[in-house]
Amino acid sequence: MKKILIAGLIGGCILFILSYGGLFLAIRFFPKLFTEYNNPLFNSDGSRDMLFYLHAFIFSFALSWFWDRFKALFKGRVVLRGLEFGLVYSVIALLPVMWISFSALDITVAMVLSWFIYGLLQAITAGVVFAKVNP
Amino acid sequence: MLYKNILCLYLLLVAPATYILPRQLSHAADGRKWIVSENSSLCVNGSTNVNKFACDILAYERTDTIKVSQGKSQMILSGGIGINIQSFNCHNSMMTRDLRKTLKEKQFPMLHIAFLTLNKLPELTSQPEPITGMVEIEIAGVRKQFDVKYKISVDDQKVIHLLGSRDVNFSDFNLIPPKKLGGMIQTKDKLSVDFHLKIKSINR
Repeated sequence: MKKILIAGLIGGCILFILSYGGLFLAIRFFPKLFTEYNNPLFNSDGSRDMLFYLHAFIFSFALSWFWDRFKALFKGRVVLRGLEFGLVYSVIALLPVMWISFSALDITVAMVLSWFIYGLLQAITAGVVFAKVNP
Repeated sequence: MLYKNILCLYLLLVAPATYILPRQLSHAADGRKWIVSENSSLCVNGSTNVNKFACDILAYERTDTIKVSQGKSQMILSGGIGINIQSFNCHNSMMTRDLRKTLKEKQFPMLHIAFLTLNKLPELTSQPEPITGMVEIEIAGVRKQFDVKYKISVDDQKVIHLLGSRDVNFSDFNLIPPKKLGGMIQTKDKLSVDFHLKIKSINR
């Protein structure tokens, strides 16, 4: 349990910096990709900002538990284990969620694809961190 | 004697003219009605940190009346225009819906602009004449008065063109500019409002 929490916390901190840093830089350098977010679908009054920024930690703790349960299935070097873990998570969890999101919400293909790639990169990063901290 | 004659002549000819002429002008302006025609347009320009937007109403759906009368030092206007928030088109369905939501369209479906004063009686020539005036804008139930710079002219069909521009802030009307993704995408507080009213003048 302690290993799960420590790996989750370390993973959360790293994901927080990489995810929001990356998002900040992407908005700064590729602003056109984000024009579609001016959409009433997205919360705009700031009341959920804290929840938004906690996402990296929620994601990391959940994946840390998943890693601890199934890490024996991922074999090879650290990067390879992380990569496979990220791909497994993306196919099992992300793809169906993105599918249903696109079918039900008024969002664009580009938006859904960017979310999928963002989630995939987050999961691979988390997998590499877990393979190192909780092998 | 000569001075007396000049004084009499002045009293007879000049003095009445200086008294009567402004009154004649004021009578000319008094009781005039301006009908704002359906071809009038309004555009709201704003920006976020990722894009700029222009939301417009290219064809005003109503016919509104503004009464014009002479005040002590300025023209008094009464009446205004009512704008249906749903008529705004931002040329992007998501942005259009976002603007409507920000302007609290469900609670306050109309935006009102009441014309209050003009600083002078316009000459109404084909050359655009700069003129200033006060308006009261009501958005989302909050009213605020602003000075507006206009350019006024008249065309061959005797249609008066009143072009105005004014910067307003979301915060002037207690509205919060939308922000997305935890504030990473932020709409700027300032909006620039441009309007072009096409008016027909009717004497009462």
